[in-house]
Amino acid sequence: MSAERALRVGVGGPVGSGKSSLIAALCRELSAGVRTGVVTNDIYTTEDARFLRATGVLAPERIVAVQTGCCPHTAIRDDITINLEAVEELERDQGPLDLVLVESGGDNLTAVFSPALADVQIFVIDVAGGDDIPRKGGPGIARADLLVIFKTDLAPYVGSDVRRMLADAAARRGELPVIGLALTQPPHARAVADWVREQLRAYAADGQLHSSVAGASHPHGHAHTH
Amino acid sequence: MNPVAMLLADSRFPAGSYAHSLGLEQAVAEGLGTGEVAPFIAARLRLAGRADAALSVAALRCADCAAGADGDGLAALDDEHGARCPSPVLRDVARRLGAQLLRSAATAWPHPAIDRYRSASAATPRPVALGVVGAAAGLLDVEVATVALYDDAATVASAALKLLGLDPAVTARWLAELAPAIAAAARAVAADERALGAQPPPAAPALELAAARHASREERLFVS
Repeated sequence: MSAERALRVGVGGPVGSGKSSLIAALCRELSAGVRTGVVTNDIYTTEDARFLRATGVLAPERIVAVQTGCCPHTAIRDDITINLEAVEELERDQGPLDLVLVESGGDNLTAVFSPALADVQIFVIDVAGGDDIPRKGGPGIARADLLVIFKTDLAPYVGSDVRRMLADAAARRGELPVIGLALTQPPHARAVADWVREQLRAYAADGQLHSSVAGASHPHGHAHTH
Repeated sequence: MNPVAMLLADSRFPAGSYAHSLGLEQAVAEGLGTGEVAPFIAARLRLAGRADAALSVAALRCADCAAGADGDGLAALDDEHGARCPSPVLRDVARRLGAQLLRSAATAWPHPAIDRYRSASAATPRPVALGVVGAAAGLLDVEVATVALYDDAATVASAALKLLGLDPAVTARWLAELAPAIAAAARAVAADERALGAQPPPAAPALELAAARHASREERLFVS
């Protein structure tokens, strides 16, 4: 069964953890062969959309920004109508697309995407936010389909222990995957791009994915690929 | 009290209005102070709120909604909204809010009138959409008018909390104090049996002009 619409991947995480940079790197990695669009949820400006357009990784019209009236978590979880409209409009105007990345406004550790908005989701934290973040947990860290620990190259400068962060995250997440990476060091965002390609393949084969966030307060349902 | 009307007026009903200040953000940027928010809400109710409520009631009454004819009546109401709302910015705002309301309502109240209007209308102005949803949900004229007016006031009051440093209980008091005016306006709109075209169309050109300035701002929290 082939999918009727693009795969929707949510990218969430705290302010400054690197969501926009990761999305830019993903678009670059996936530029050959994956028709991608991006919806950003900015807090006060259209800075995230502007940053992505400036990187030149996607045609400007493939990137749209929505305002969320100070409610970034509402827009991805409690009332997703603004984002659903934006995603469908993007597909209608720029389609057909294979992949739509929805970037949440930077929020706290409790913000996750509704499964009605994101088929699967990536949660992004960084080493500079403190190496106790994986232990603090929360739905994004515990249940996101993929956890990315970003900017590992900064760890020596901010006194963070990357190995411990990866181990703590793994302990919280059971079988769910964790990837540590730095854009300055090979293989850059390759592992995340590979994970997205895996999801695209599974989605194309089944026409749907089951997010580990859907309908559970603990890990873990199935059908996505780890 | 009809719980269905309460559900539609509840800000937890997913229709995306939390991203709108209905002109307040621009008004605050241009100098509106805390003490002037309640009069701003009252002025909206007399002008834009009243005009929108009349459209919602007309859409609710529209035979096409209930009987399932071809929807020409609703298309005419879309045009009536366009005629009353010359600002392209505010038309687009109304289209988005209407589309968002219809999207969630289609799941909450499965009804052919909602599906038909969603597929037939490109404009989906929120006041007409609310009338269609009200028909699908079985609301009375006065209920849909009350929801329209209350939602307008509550959306601005909620945005005020984010734009100005305020005690949330104080914005609740504004709404409590406006409640009699909302109820009276809703009764008046519901009692008006004239066709929409024969009713006086209240307008707020200052809000229309401010909406264009708001849309061109680099920094803003709200869509409108």
